Amino acid sequence: MKGLRRNLKRLLSSLSREKYDMADELQSHIEMQAEDNLRAGMPPEEARRQARLKFGGLDSVKESYRDQRGLPWLETTFADLRYAARGLRKSPAFTTVAVLTLAIGIGANTAIFSLVNQLLLHPPGIDHPERVVGVRTRYLKINLEFNGSSSSNLPDLRSSTNVFERAAISQRADLNYADGPAPERLRGAMVSAEWFDVFGAKPLIGRVFTAQEDQPNLNRVAVLSYGSWTRVFGADPNVIGRVVQLNQTPYQIVGIMRADFELPWNTDVWTPIGLEPQLYSPQNRFNESFFLAARLKPGVSFDQGQAWMQVLTDRVYNSGTPGAAIAKNGNWSISLVHFTDDSAGDNKSAVVLLLGAVALVLLIACSNIAGLMVARTSVRARELAVRVALGASRSRLLRQMLSESLLLAITGGAIGLVFAAGAVRLVLHLAPENAVAGLNSSLDVYVMLFCAGATIASAVLFGVTPAWQVSRADLQGSIKMEGRTNTSDSGRQRLRSLLVVGETALALALLMAAGLFLRSFLRLQTVNPGFNPKGVMTAMYRLPLAQYAGGRDQANFNRALLANLRAGSGVIATGLGYPAPFSGDNEAGSFQIEGQVLAPDDPGPHGNRRFISPGYMEALGIPLKRGRYFTDQDRIDAERVTIIDEDLARQYWPTEDPLGKRIRMGGNGAPWLTVVGIVGHVMDSSLASDSGKGVYYFSLFQRSIPGATIVVKTSGDPNLMTGVIQDAVRTADPHQAVHTFGTMDYYISRSLDTRRFGMRLLGFFGVVALFLAALGLYGVISYSVAQRTREIGIRMALGAEHRSVLALVVGQGFRLAAAGVAIGIAGAALMGRYFESQLFQVRSSDPLTIFATAGALLGAGLLASYLPARRAVRVDPAVTLRTD
Amino acid sequence: MPQESSPEKSDVWQGTLALMVLKTLNALGPLHGYGIARRIEQTSENLLSINHGTLYPVLLKLEQEGSIDSEWGVSENNRKAKFYRITKSGKKELTAAEREWQRANDIMARFSALKGESA
Repeated sequence: MKGLRRNLKRLLSSLSREKYDMADELQSHIEMQAEDNLRAGMPPEEARRQARLKFGGLDSVKESYRDQRGLPWLETTFADLRYAARGLRKSPAFTTVAVLTLAIGIGANTAIFSLVNQLLLHPPGIDHPERVVGVRTRYLKINLEFNGSSSSNLPDLRSSTNVFERAAISQRADLNYADGPAPERLRGAMVSAEWFDVFGAKPLIGRVFTAQEDQPNLNRVAVLSYGSWTRVFGADPNVIGRVVQLNQTPYQIVGIMRADFELPWNTDVWTPIGLEPQLYSPQNRFNESFFLAARLKPGVSFDQGQAWMQVLTDRVYNSGTPGAAIAKNGNWSISLVHFTDDSAGDNKSAVVLLLGAVALVLLIACSNIAGLMVARTSVRARELAVRVALGASRSRLLRQMLSESLLLAITGGAIGLVFAAGAVRLVLHLAPENAVAGLNSSLDVYVMLFCAGATIASAVLFGVTPAWQVSRADLQGSIKMEGRTNTSDSGRQRLRSLLVVGETALALALLMAAGLFLRSFLRLQTVNPGFNPKGVMTAMYRLPLAQYAGGRDQANFNRALLANLRAGSGVIATGLGYPAPFSGDNEAGSFQIEGQVLAPDDPGPHGNRRFISPGYMEALGIPLKRGRYFTDQDRIDAERVTIIDEDLARQYWPTEDPLGKRIRMGGNGAPWLTVVGIVGHVMDSSLASDSGKGVYYFSLFQRSIPGATIVVKTSGDPNLMTGVIQDAVRTADPHQAVHTFGTMDYYISRSLDTRRFGMRLLGFFGVVALFLAALGLYGVISYSVAQRTREIGIRMALGAEHRSVLALVVGQGFRLAAAGVAIGIAGAALMGRYFESQLFQVRSSDPLTIFATAGALLGAGLLASYLPARRAVRVDPAVTLRTD
Repeated sequence: MPQESSPEKSDVWQGTLALMVLKTLNALGPLHGYGIARRIEQTSENLLSINHGTLYPVLLKLEQEGSIDSEWGVSENNRKAKFYRITKSGKKELTAAEREWQRANDIMARFSALKGESA
């Protein structure tokens, strides 16, 4: 306790640097003694001498006083830092370049890390995200894997209290809210009672659902998201307890969530799912229309949870129920996925790649600064040598060099943090909305720690080279050489050259990656999606089941809507369909082929399915290969028909003509559908990859659904079709909301957003890297020209032409750049394997890209060495020979 | 002029100076450094010789530990001087240290009282 207090005092004294009054006190002591001596009868001279003798060594007392007063090591460190600050202030150009380079490097890293952190490590709004998992379903036999789950898995997870703390399901269910000025669609999620607890999300106001409310007909309560509360209800806190009409059904609002929680999707309103008990029974095992999320118990690892899912899977296999056969036939299984991995989706590999790229930029920045510091040390070689001669130990000098690095890094890091705050905001602003939904721009403690780590790592990276150089340099030599070019100086220059070669190699690798992604992107834009998006406007609607319970009601609405749309002015073709391409929705199912006998363990044919009205394929320009499109005559009372695409035809009728063949879904007793048309395959949600699954189409008027996407084709500006669609819906039902307007071109372009954005960022980092590498080369060549001024002067005095001097200097720079490019190409070839999977129809060894990036770097290298070379030939030989 | 340097004069043992300072300040109230040095010499009846300089690091340490306080004031001869005063925690420290010393003394005394068998 005593010791602690004392050390604290010492620390404070060291920090405060207050002037202390010890000298006065000691002086007064000696004088008092001298006075006493005088009184005792000594002569004045002797009295003072004796007083000093009695006191002992004044200086050694002062020194031991000083040592005890503060913490000497801390004061030395401060002194080093002060000294470093003075040194840096004296060379403002070096300091500015170094600090800014670092700030950009650290700032960019911190900004990208902030995205990684929020997407993968610590997503906002989730408590202990590493314990939150989603459940995936897989049918290995039919090559089907998706993030859906059956509701009957929920009781199994909830009763696994050894593994899971909480589990809940959710299902998307958009709601019409018609109390406002215009009917509005709210993005809804029906959730089971524990949904919010799975994520550890707490309401801002009010409460979430009770288990009581999660039952059929008792579930007329709603929780609002912060977004919809402010947007639709004007952030009125009295909204709690109010009853509102959603889908023309009364719901009481019981709570409002905080702004950082909108799961499972960008939810506006949550309602209890209130499923009938039989939907949780094993009979419903293979209806995967829910999303199942769970929270692992503390102390249970992901792998343990995964192993438990195998146990649950095996239980179904061994249950002896009809489900066991289905599971066996499809090779069914359920497994866990990290919720953060799942929600980050495609963005995961993109942000990790970007983090790698931006780390390379920092590495280049650091080697640049290392080069600058090496040059600085050679300027200071004399000073250092003098200090060694005066008795400074090498470790002391080393400590000072490192203090300078640390001071630079900390300043750069601090400014970098400010940059990062701005950069994150900029990135979130520029990034596609769906890639960064729910992310915020505040820098949390993990990001701060990362920034600090990057700062220290940088200090080590660029501080270690000059420090190593000081520790082994022949400092005595520097004194003798009177500042002229000497051997240790050429060693330094070689070190800087090595750094520049390394930088160039890194920059090339980074630029090449950017180039490869650019090439992929250009290739992607030429991909034919299987339909013609030009001039097509789309919008969505969903009929509330309370008013449109029966297929006949739904069909009537759809028919009226279609008639209104066709009558719209400027409409060339129009139709309804679900799910529309590039909408993000999908539907799939097994079917039977008439006359086909399946082996006992064959799960049967399977494909994606679409529900479409007549006119839909014409509006989208899906090419008819054979047979016919749907017509208005394909009604409930006519022959049941289906259209298939070429992929499905190839897959299940490889040797026969599928036209006229019959298929059915929904098991025995379901009606047979005759194949009347074969159309081209439509890409589903991505130009880069296709599920490869064949598609079969139902007529919307033979198999009704309560909502669809409206597609309208026009010859003019598709945006003008918005009004036509709104009018058509309003005329069909004034209470019905229509939402999510967007052109087909927009949806296709949006599917490339993440790629486009990643490519741009990568390109930006590539250009920064190129610039930094050129800057490094410029520094080395400039310095070398300055060192060789005399030599160049002599050459020119002896008659060398400007051209040959230029060639001499530029050649030196070019050789360095070429060495870097050669190493970089080799490195990029190795690195390319890691991201080749993210490229599209471009090999990582694409010659055009290699050629272009190598050219860019060599060009930059030539420019960077030409500028100092031009300075060299302007030198007046007479002047240079006289100096030095 | 020769100092009264007798061969029996002892040096101050390490660590005991702090105790002497505390004891002196406790008995005599606030004193400046020179005063403390003089008192210690007087109390030991000039058997102890201390380099007055060594007193100051000890005073600093005691002050940092919170056992004493200091304040600038004016000496009896109208000279500016820093006066030291024992604090409450210093008094506690002193009591504890005195007890330690007393015990050590008692033990040593018992050993000193042993009669040599072959004496």
